[in-house]
Amino acid sequence: MGRYLLRRLNLFLATSLALVTVLFITTSYFPVSKPFALSGIATPTTEQLAQIEADYQLNGNQLQQFIAYAQTRLSGDLGLSVTSQRPVLEELTQALPASFELAIVSGIIAVLFGVPLGVLASLSKNKITQHSIMAITLTGYSIPVFWLGLTLSLWFGVELGWLPVSGRINLLYEIEPVSGFMLIDTLLSDSAYRISAFKDAVFHIILPAITLAVLPFTVVVRITRAAMLNIMELPFIKAAEARGLHTGTIVLRHALPNALIPVLKNMGLMLGTFASYAMIVEVIFSRQGVGSWLVAGIYQRDYTVIQGGVLGVALIIIFFSILIEVLHNAYNPLSRKEIYAAN
Amino acid sequence: MPLLDIRNLTIELDTPHGRVKALERVSLMINPGELHGLVGESGSGRTLLARAILGVPGHNWTITADRMMWDGQNLMDMSPKQRRNLMGSEIAVIFQDPMGSLDPAITVGSQLIEAMPQDKTISFWKRNSARKAIAQKWLHKVGIKNTEEVMSSYAWELSAGECQKVMIAMAIANQPRLLIADEPTDSMELSTQAQIFRLLSKLNQLHSVSILLISHELETLSGWCDQLTVLYCGQVMESGPTAEVLEQPYHPYTKALLDNMPDFSSGLAHKSVMQTLPGSSPALQHLPIGCRLGPRCPQAQKRCVSKPSLCHQKDRYFACHFPYNSEPCNDDPTT
Repeated sequence: MGRYLLRRLNLFLATSLALVTVLFITTSYFPVSKPFALSGIATPTTEQLAQIEADYQLNGNQLQQFIAYAQTRLSGDLGLSVTSQRPVLEELTQALPASFELAIVSGIIAVLFGVPLGVLASLSKNKITQHSIMAITLTGYSIPVFWLGLTLSLWFGVELGWLPVSGRINLLYEIEPVSGFMLIDTLLSDSAYRISAFKDAVFHIILPAITLAVLPFTVVVRITRAAMLNIMELPFIKAAEARGLHTGTIVLRHALPNALIPVLKNMGLMLGTFASYAMIVEVIFSRQGVGSWLVAGIYQRDYTVIQGGVLGVALIIIFFSILIEVLHNAYNPLSRKEIYAAN
Repeated sequence: MPLLDIRNLTIELDTPHGRVKALERVSLMINPGELHGLVGESGSGRTLLARAILGVPGHNWTITADRMMWDGQNLMDMSPKQRRNLMGSEIAVIFQDPMGSLDPAITVGSQLIEAMPQDKTISFWKRNSARKAIAQKWLHKVGIKNTEEVMSSYAWELSAGECQKVMIAMAIANQPRLLIADEPTDSMELSTQAQIFRLLSKLNQLHSVSILLISHELETLSGWCDQLTVLYCGQVMESGPTAEVLEQPYHPYTKALLDNMPDFSSGLAHKSVMQTLPGSSPALQHLPIGCRLGPRCPQAQKRCVSKPSLCHQKDRYFACHFPYNSEPCNDDPTT
């Protein structure tokens, strides 16, 4: 296992290096002067310019520049935002928890509803149930997320007026950010209205979370169903039946743990799509997260924000896909067998 | 009263080529405390029979039988739930492929504990350790020495022999009255095979568990079993006490099996042709009518296109129009 973890760490480092290289190369193509694109300071004083040139080795050759670039970026200096003139790292760390909150809530929705529905679809002998579940998931899979988000906010937000359509919380509530997760912060705050603030935060997250959850939900349903159909035909399920176990026990204890392994694997593969969908959803529902921040940065030609945002988001995606793979291997005894065999 | 009495069991499979009778009018009787051998080539429907007895049919099966009695109760009348209860407690089975029959994602020990009956008399905080102790006891009984290690490992970490022993432990942990062993020693080396057969026959003698031993090796079966049933292509050819069947086979198929056993004592010539019946056993979609041995049978005559009914002579049964060493029955309704 140790060697395996080391290899995964190696993969993480190598991918990150490739990412930084791509960023370094694209930065040199930005249609502005290099010191500006790197630091975000539009009209630097002479001392600032000298500092920037020293930091990024702008007088050195390409390799020296690259090493200096990687050093400054990885040490956490992402430059100043062009528009707000605040450090990009600060803005990123402020925006991240909101995105995580949305992703976690919709991930929970997808798994919580997707897995049982997939199991139901696989166990049901009724053709109509099976086909309707499959038809619904296929529809959900093919609906474009921007259309779905707009339609949902039109129906439930504007016409019915049940749910708020934008923001993370009503502006009436003043919540001190502690963890950055609005759902937690409202509960942690000591204002008299924290319960109603919490309710308001929940109402605000329902529509975006559902919009974002549709894609992973459909994928989870389909993969759970396929895996369950596969596994229910395997000899060990027949053997468990022959041992006189109840169908419920067989499904929950023997079939489902085996079926969840491919689900976990596909979650890892889906992470990139999921992240880009999350950005679109954040823009549609104007939630202050990494997505809307990055999209705004792109519109405003905020070169440092673009670099910092892409670096941060990509590093997080790389990290989580490797984490999911490691989890998948730790949880799945069968793939551990392969690891042992490989070493 | 026999423990299991099956009369004229027919299993039809729905295949793309139409409906096929994979088992045709099979009768089987197992007395309490008996070690019954079921011999047949692969594809002769042995596993189908085992699964039909057990009550885990496939999705495209149609099962009909004149009677299927388990200890005086009719299995055909039982609800699936009753069948399931019976499976866990009274009938147990050891499958052909021991590794595939164990869940790869859970340790062997927890599967064994799960298969054991729950003892409600032990207070719940002691229950876990008590169950673990009982599981270890059963593993000891089937001849596994390092029980702790085996219980905490996964199926794929064990050898096929160990897996099979664990399967046997699971099967006998409920103290069943009938144990169906479907090729328990398939793909195992000879010493492990002998170990497992010894284990089964010890179970049979000490706990008077009836065992239905399914195999394709007549020699092995003849060494361990009291009764023998010979199956060919889903039809019962002959059935009776092992010694008598071997001594004086009535059915041409049994005789062919016995005659074609290579005799290693006299020294076979190098690369000499091994004796077999002409032809090969037919595929499911091209079954001959009547006696399915017909096209390959040395004794076959015109009458063999109608299926001979099972003849009963003392404690032996056979289905043949022209048996060796005996007169055919005249109660054939089709002639």
